[in-house]
Amino acid sequence: MSSEVAIEMRDLAIRFPVYGADQRSLKRSLAKIAIGGAIGGRGSGGGSNTVSALSHVNLSLKAGDRLALVGPNGSGKTTLLRVMAGVYAPDEGSLTTVGKIAGLLDLSLGLQPTATGNENIYLRGLVAGLSKAQIQAKTEEIASFSGLGQFLGLPLKTYSSGMLARLAFAVATAVDADILLMDEWIAVGDAEFRDAARARLMRLIEQSHILVLASHEMDLVKGLCNKFMHLEHGVASPVMPIEQIDHFMPAQAAGRFASAA
Amino acid sequence: MTDLPRIHISGRSGLGADLKEAGSDFAGAAHRWRLWMALATHDITSRYRGSLLGPFWITATTAAMIGGVGLMYSQLLNLSLAEYIPWLATGIVFWTFFSQVITEGCDAFIASGAIIKQTAIPMMSFIARMVARNLINFAHQLLIIVAVIVYFGLWKVANPLLCLAGFALVLINLCWIALASGIISARFRDVPQIVTAVVQVAVFITPVFWRPEAIKAHRFVLNGNPFYHMLEVTRRPLLGEPVALHSYLLLIAMAVVGWIFAYVLFARTRRRVVHYL
Repeated sequence: MSSEVAIEMRDLAIRFPVYGADQRSLKRSLAKIAIGGAIGGRGSGGGSNTVSALSHVNLSLKAGDRLALVGPNGSGKTTLLRVMAGVYAPDEGSLTTVGKIAGLLDLSLGLQPTATGNENIYLRGLVAGLSKAQIQAKTEEIASFSGLGQFLGLPLKTYSSGMLARLAFAVATAVDADILLMDEWIAVGDAEFRDAARARLMRLIEQSHILVLASHEMDLVKGLCNKFMHLEHGVASPVMPIEQIDHFMPAQAAGRFASAA
Repeated sequence: MTDLPRIHISGRSGLGADLKEAGSDFAGAAHRWRLWMALATHDITSRYRGSLLGPFWITATTAAMIGGVGLMYSQLLNLSLAEYIPWLATGIVFWTFFSQVITEGCDAFIASGAIIKQTAIPMMSFIARMVARNLINFAHQLLIIVAVIVYFGLWKVANPLLCLAGFALVLINLCWIALASGIISARFRDVPQIVTAVVQVAVFITPVFWRPEAIKAHRFVLNGNPFYHMLEVTRRPLLGEPVALHSYLLLIAMAVVGWIFAYVLFARTRRRVVHYL
């Protein structure tokens, strides 16, 4: 039931252990054991430093919610998307998702340069968790949308970057998702393809029940989303209605976007 | 009623939960066999795309090696070709498989880093991908063993079922070694080099080319070498020769202890492997 689609985060924290070039070396670790310093020292006291990537994130999204993640570079937007996608497991707190999740985080995910276009459609479908029948049902549509025709029989390494982007986009957006995760708006290809891609993305967003979009483009965010969350140094604001975004965003950010426009 | 997938993940809550989640990872990887089989097949086809023989290059190079080494070493060891070639062929084919699974196991997670960092796929899928890829390679080399068995008339004495049982036992061992070395290698990048070096030395102290009967003193070097037992339980049945019981016992003990170690290691590190990459 679509109304049950939800994302729930309670006091979620993510810490990245930082393994410096030195710490990856076995010699260093062995040396530490020999010295007697770090035996059993896991966690913060143990050899590796940790960076707090996200701390105490609370959010509750239900069907119909279109959440914008805003904040400067390195504030944790992408990390939060990856947590929702199941890449990083929380170190503290919990995450509950109900519904099929599709992430448009990295278009080139799972693409193999040595495989042909058609093989990549199949492989990418498997990576996305589709069954063989589901992939076969989508293959023709992906092929026609990409506009690559007989080039799909050639390995990806022979493609131009534009052709590659077309295929990557067509494959990545051929999903049925209840929850759609996007890291920035995707714009690929020539003018003609760009329009078609835009229409396809909008359709995908309309079909999804929850959208989470990380973006720096305030106009885009205001047009697509109805809620927003501001992140800074891994600390998240409460979820707020999008109407408040102008009041909330710092003045320098507004100035930055004004100058970019 | 709903058929929506529901995922709940919380912070780590002790070893028990870790062990259970590791079990779900195994089940998830088994469920997604199509994915790792497709990746494994792609690994092979991409390597040989455009070449005339394709993956049968594996067969051809191994056959050439057996021919060359067989002609020289049979004289060196004072054995007839009929005695030596079956011994050598089975040795090289099995050895190649064992050593490849172990050395490529170190790279199993590192090589799939791009996928692991972008999407949630059960971690065991990448071990399965590597093992499946090597099994496909091995199947191509098996042709050589079949040819040798037929040509030298060993089919009269060979016991393929016992060989298969031995192979299964070895495979169970190789899988835990690959899993453990995959995790440790992702964390400590010196380990792949160490493992490669160990395997390179092992080919000389393991009876791949020579017969273990020739070793009279210092038998403990032989008996303490797990590769020796792995070769014994797979090679001897094909040649119609008896296998010592202690080889089986040692490999069974090693499988039990090794899997407990690797499983606990996997359970404790599964969430962190993505940070190692």
